Amino acid sequence: MGKRVVITGIGVVSPIGIGKNEFWKNLFAGQSGFRDITLFDTKDLKVKIAGEITNFNPKAILGEKGLLDLDRATLLLLSATKLALEDAGLKIDESNTYRTGVSVGTTFGSLHSISKFDRESLTEGPRYVNPIIFPNTVANSPASRISIKFQIKGFNSTISTGMSAALDAIDYANDFICLDKADTIVAGAVEDLSMQTFLGFYKLNYLSGLKNTSAAPLSCPFDNRRNGIIFSEGATTLILQDEEYAKKTGTVVYAEILGIGSCFDPAKFYKYNPKGYGMKKAMKKALKAAGLFPKDIDCVFANANSTKDADYIETKVIKDLFDEYAYKIHVIAVKSALGESFSVSGGFATIAALGALTKGILPPTINYKEKDKNCDLEYMPNKARNKEVSKIMINSFGPNGVCTSLIIGRYKS
Amino acid sequence: MNQEVVVTGLGAVTSVGIGKDEFWKNILTGKSGISEVTQFDTSKFKRHNAGEIKNFNTSDFIPENIAKFMGRASQFAIAATKSALEDSKLPIANIENEKLAVIIGTTMAEANVIDVSGRMFIKDEWDSITKQLLMNVFSPSIARNIGYFLKTKGENLLIPNACAAGNFALGYGFDLIRKGEIDFAIVGGADSLSRVAFQGFQRLYAMSPDVCSPFDKDRHGMLLGEGAGILILESLERAKQRNASIYAKVLEYGLSCDAYNMTIPSRIGIKKSMTKAIKNANISLCDIDYISAHGTGTVQNDKEESGAINEIFDDRKVAVSSIKSMLGHCMGAASALESIACCLAIKEDIVPPTINLKIPDPECDIDCVPNNARKIKVKTALNNGFAFGGNNCCVVLGKPCYS
Repeated sequence: MGKRVVITGIGVVSPIGIGKNEFWKNLFAGQSGFRDITLFDTKDLKVKIAGEITNFNPKAILGEKGLLDLDRATLLLLSATKLALEDAGLKIDESNTYRTGVSVGTTFGSLHSISKFDRESLTEGPRYVNPIIFPNTVANSPASRISIKFQIKGFNSTISTGMSAALDAIDYANDFICLDKADTIVAGAVEDLSMQTFLGFYKLNYLSGLKNTSAAPLSCPFDNRRNGIIFSEGATTLILQDEEYAKKTGTVVYAEILGIGSCFDPAKFYKYNPKGYGMKKAMKKALKAAGLFPKDIDCVFANANSTKDADYIETKVIKDLFDEYAYKIHVIAVKSALGESFSVSGGFATIAALGALTKGILPPTINYKEKDKNCDLEYMPNKARNKEVSKIMINSFGPNGVCTSLIIGRYKS
Repeated sequence: MNQEVVVTGLGAVTSVGIGKDEFWKNILTGKSGISEVTQFDTSKFKRHNAGEIKNFNTSDFIPENIAKFMGRASQFAIAATKSALEDSKLPIANIENEKLAVIIGTTMAEANVIDVSGRMFIKDEWDSITKQLLMNVFSPSIARNIGYFLKTKGENLLIPNACAAGNFALGYGFDLIRKGEIDFAIVGGADSLSRVAFQGFQRLYAMSPDVCSPFDKDRHGMLLGEGAGILILESLERAKQRNASIYAKVLEYGLSCDAYNMTIPSRIGIKKSMTKAIKNANISLCDIDYISAHGTGTVQNDKEESGAINEIFDDRKVAVSSIKSMLGHCMGAASALESIACCLAIKEDIVPPTINLKIPDPECDIDCVPNNARKIKVKTALNNGFAFGGNNCCVVLGKPCYS
């Protein structure tokens, strides 16, 4: 027991960049990743933009072979994983494969495939469906493909908890290393932009630009004008390792996982609890697991996704928990640039936080213009700032009630 | 740290019985739950049978105004959870407490909701899709619905690790209790029949035209089933404090990934997870008295699994049975229901049969407890679960006094 877990590799495929360097550069520069959707026809829809990754060329990252039967979610995840393994300089072979595992957070990763499969069955008839695509319809298919592609044989798990899935997959991985069941874990997350997922959010009225069609969709967390999310896609992969193992291999360590807290808030049916019970509990649990007090935290990478209730409740809970100190820390919403990428959002936020830790730059909350009197913390509006930080809290709270907070810190051996 | 973990409550919703008592009674007598599917039209398919649950009355477990927000898999899961909690006599204060986690495995999540939305989609009736339906397509719904219904406050996870998902969920619940993070866990799996799963499994594997006959020479393939299996896990310390009756102790589990093929099982991977489970449990091979096989009834699975068992046990004939012969393959619920069977086998020293066995297959040279249950001493049992993507999870359960 008493094992420490460190992050030694970063892979990201996002609407603002592929690979950690491009991702950080554009994030610090305040660029956003929203553009017209090209993956499907939006002619009849009121919202036509999303965080689509238009320059994604899986062959450039993964090579030409063996990609034919894979769906977009799988390709995004495999690409992020390849980048992360390369970044960590990690070679999987017979000597380490049984002590290496895969833990992936995803929720709608298979929705596109299942719809396609179902459609073929209904329109063409049961005898004409392509059996090769059925495995893609199962939620753990993107994760399983990681094992097959990179020959990782320790274990392979998928976590589907909605918005907090990326952090929950890190939590699962962290537990496995702490229990000495693995030395290395590929902790990924993925969500792809498909018509089915997009229409789901559309019908549920989550998207910005639906209520007031005269204004263009806008992702502006904490801003008074916020009116919904911009949906986006992407994949993230972190290489988590047992600290002692990482030391032995001499790999570069980006940060240490200090604590994770997760809980469930059953108060409302598919709505955030206005009292923020779950959010507060998750943050408290993470602090407790890390053995830290609120004043030890330098900044918070917020869950805030530009919806009225989520941003307000999170602000309120931070004030509650951090007390007078709440006004002194930076609360940053990277979803202003990246949108709400659901299961992968916690992954984007964690990689953004890793950028802040290693580069000494805090990324901005962009599109911030009009102050909401109920959201009055220091949100780092519009401009990045140079600042050394050592402990960062990352929040992921879903309207389905699952709340998870992660604390990472600068690594000292 | 390093808490011992025990099973104190069991809940089953299956085609051979609702509630663990009816389920177990029928499993031991070798009753088959296989029948013609009525939930959807199978006339265009070549196959028509599955382990469909015919007599499930939602309102026995869930008020109608809440049930209407839930898909069939969630309804099964809640019914099984309620019976498991009743069985464990766990006080409400412990349920509505952050020291209790809900961890549920599944293959298809709420796939019958996808059936409905899929049909609307194709007929261009997208506009008529309701919010309720969409909420249910979102796969975290099963664990979430249990959490919402019982007002749980601890971790809440859905692990969609396909056909071994129930074991994965049990394993993680075990880990969290052992670490001391939580005291109690509601773990298990749930899946409902759906046209999309029926279609998929039929195209992918051989699906039997009539019965599921694992390890038989003339086996014609698998059959689908549906249901939910829920186990209440708690630390031995807590169980003793509240004088709970204990079914079995969770000794450990073992994971492996074939990293080979999405749908074809690999003997190497299967062996790896079985041996890892036994090694982690710190017991020796001769301690295993019973193996609940993955035993799907496909030519490939049964051959590879039998081979793996024989290679590991060096041809010692351990009692091995597949209750899928009676239930069909209940996907995410399958390994959870099999874990329940293992707990009951340990508690009562009797092992369930593999039914429909007529001609033994020389390629499956194991003692599959053919057709009749058998009274034997069961100190420890190994429950095999193998899933899509080559994800294997084997659980070792033992008598409560076992250490």
